[in-house]
Amino acid sequence: MSTMIRTVELTKTYRMGEIEVPVLRSVNLEINKGDFVAIQGPSGSGKSTLLNMIGCLDHPTSGTVFIDGTDTSTLNDDGQAKIRREKIGFIFQQFNLIHTLSALENVAFPMMFTGVAREKRIERAKELLGTLGLLERARHKPSELSGGEQQRVAIARALANNPPVILGDEPTGNLDTKSGKVMMDFLEKLNDKGETLIIVTHDPEIAARAHRIITMRDGILRDEK
Amino acid sequence: MIGMDGIVLAYRNIKERKTRSLLTFLGIAVGIAAIISLIAVGYGMQYAITEELVSFADTISVMPGKLIPGLGYVELGAFTERDIEDVRRISGVKDVTPLMYKMVEVEYRGERMPVQVMGADPCDLEEWYEEYVVFQEGRWIRERDYKGCMIGYNVAHEYFKNDIGLNDRITINESEFVVVGILEKASMVASSDLDPTIFLTTKSAQDVLGTDEVSMMMVKIRDIDRAEEIAEDIEEKIDENHNLEGFTEAMSMSSMMEQIGTVFMIIQVVLVGIASIALVVGCIGIMNTMLMSVMERTHEIGIMKAIGATNRNIMFLFLVEAGMISLIGGILGCILGTIVAKAICTIASAYMGMDMPAIVTPTVAIGSILVAILVGVVSGLYPARKAAMMSPIEAVRYE
Ligand SMILES: Nc1ncnc2c1ncn2[C@@H]1O[C@H](COP(=O)(O)OP(=O)(O)OP(=O)(O)O)[C@@H](O)[C@H]1O
Ligand SMILES: [Mg+2]
Repeated sequence: MSTMIRTVELTKTYRMGEIEVPVLRSVNLEINKGDFVAIQGPSGSGKSTLLNMIGCLDHPTSGTVFIDGTDTSTLNDDGQAKIRREKIGFIFQQFNLIHTLSALENVAFPMMFTGVAREKRIERAKELLGTLGLLERARHKPSELSGGEQQRVAIARALANNPPVILGDEPTGNLDTKSGKVMMDFLEKLNDKGETLIIVTHDPEIAARAHRIITMRDGILRDEK
Repeated sequence: MIGMDGIVLAYRNIKERKTRSLLTFLGIAVGIAAIISLIAVGYGMQYAITEELVSFADTISVMPGKLIPGLGYVELGAFTERDIEDVRRISGVKDVTPLMYKMVEVEYRGERMPVQVMGADPCDLEEWYEEYVVFQEGRWIRERDYKGCMIGYNVAHEYFKNDIGLNDRITINESEFVVVGILEKASMVASSDLDPTIFLTTKSAQDVLGTDEVSMMMVKIRDIDRAEEIAEDIEEKIDENHNLEGFTEAMSMSSMMEQIGTVFMIIQVVLVGIASIALVVGCIGIMNTMLMSVMERTHEIGIMKAIGATNRNIMFLFLVEAGMISLIGGILGCILGTIVAKAICTIASAYMGMDMPAIVTPTVAIGSILVAILVGVVSGLYPARKAAMMSPIEAVRYE
């Protein structure tokens, strides 16, 4: 099985004035294509930081992240943007939809940056909203949607450009149990079709669905399932 | 990414943030309105003054004395009947209006005040001041009005404790006159001539002032281009009559314009000053609103980056949006500025009694809109660039 994500001696240190706070300490991690990985660990242990590095949302202090074979540390801003829009779908705990745009426009938005024609974008966005059972809500603004609905829109947006990897930072953290379950069912189905899933979660039930559990403690990967 | 997407998205953003957009438009519009209105009023002022002066362009004023720069006018004597006849005969001269004036004591209801009395041919007077005179009451004096006089606004309403009314009697140098006409307050240019003056016919002025000396001549000429030449002829002729070199000062309007050229320079400088202040104030306003409205969207920029937008994509979207907002704000500002300038000019015109239009030239209007776009885009792109330079997660977390 081929490697989708690989980190080599990944380090992140935040500088708080005089003091340096190490958040990730030499993280070496390998995740295969089509895997479903749950990342657990106490609050502040560096889970989000690690996920952001993998998603190219932040720069490591040292070390490298390989995504689908590409060494992201050698890429410039544009190169990293390209990785983000082609390889990664990121789902945030706070959904982070653009509140001036409708559900449909939010889903279609990432495709604007990959140069998909307008009609095609709308067609695909509708299709995605359809699979997530949100077609009737297509014209609604995020503020007119429930938390569960907003997160489904966010998933649709993450899938818009057909990325091979979905990263979720506590994607069910702001949802009730039922919405969380619906969402995980959907992600699991994607995984069955070959999507690589990396989910940060505090929920043992979600972790139990994963093929592999990574636990972080003080910036170090400890044990794995 | 195609340009059309940027325009559609910018339009959506403007529409969705109604209040914010309105405030931004207003911020830009106020800046541009300040520029437009100040310049329009400045131009209007310049126009009004030039216009008033141009109406005298075919005139040469002839005085028995010297205008010494910095000291003013020094009278060296008076003109005679012969001088007037001689000037009439100079080629190119259309008409000569001899004027006599003098400060004399005037009594009204027991109160005595020194007032300027001017004697002139009523026909000449009417022709001369027709454009400037508005009657409060009464009419022009006529040749037959040997005991009639026409008085300026200040004479009627300011000099004496009691206002002088139509048909009232005033005593000038011990002779009694009846007021046949009272003038409205005159416009700025004619004000110093009309407002403080009592007008008599030449004959009664000669009698009451006890002299037939002519204090000044106003000469109308046929060809404005020959003004300088005719002015020289006049000076030469009268100097010869009085046998005194430099006795006469004949000033054509063009040389008068030169004299007051410094005034024009000052107006120009003030205008440029006002315009640059307006420009600075306007630009700061635009910068402020634009900076604020883009800075609040750092979070959104973060999201855009997270879903794969390049910095150039983001800059492009904000360029289009800032350009659109600035354009609309600039146009609004032009309209607003024109309205404000019109209001100011209407009030000023009424107050000064002269026609002062608000002048918005296409150059100024288009220039201001371009300034709005330039400043708006630059100050919109600056925070957008700053946000785009952050790592996506930093921008997403930005409060
Ligand atoms: N921008 C930052 N500047 C300084 N310190 C930071 C910054 N971001 C995170 N940290 C610190 O890094 C550590 C790890 O943060 P991180 O968000 O990765 O934790 P986490 O494991 O996701 O926790 P949680 O489960 O609460 O989300 C924390 O101690 C946090 O205070
Ligand atoms: Mg976290």
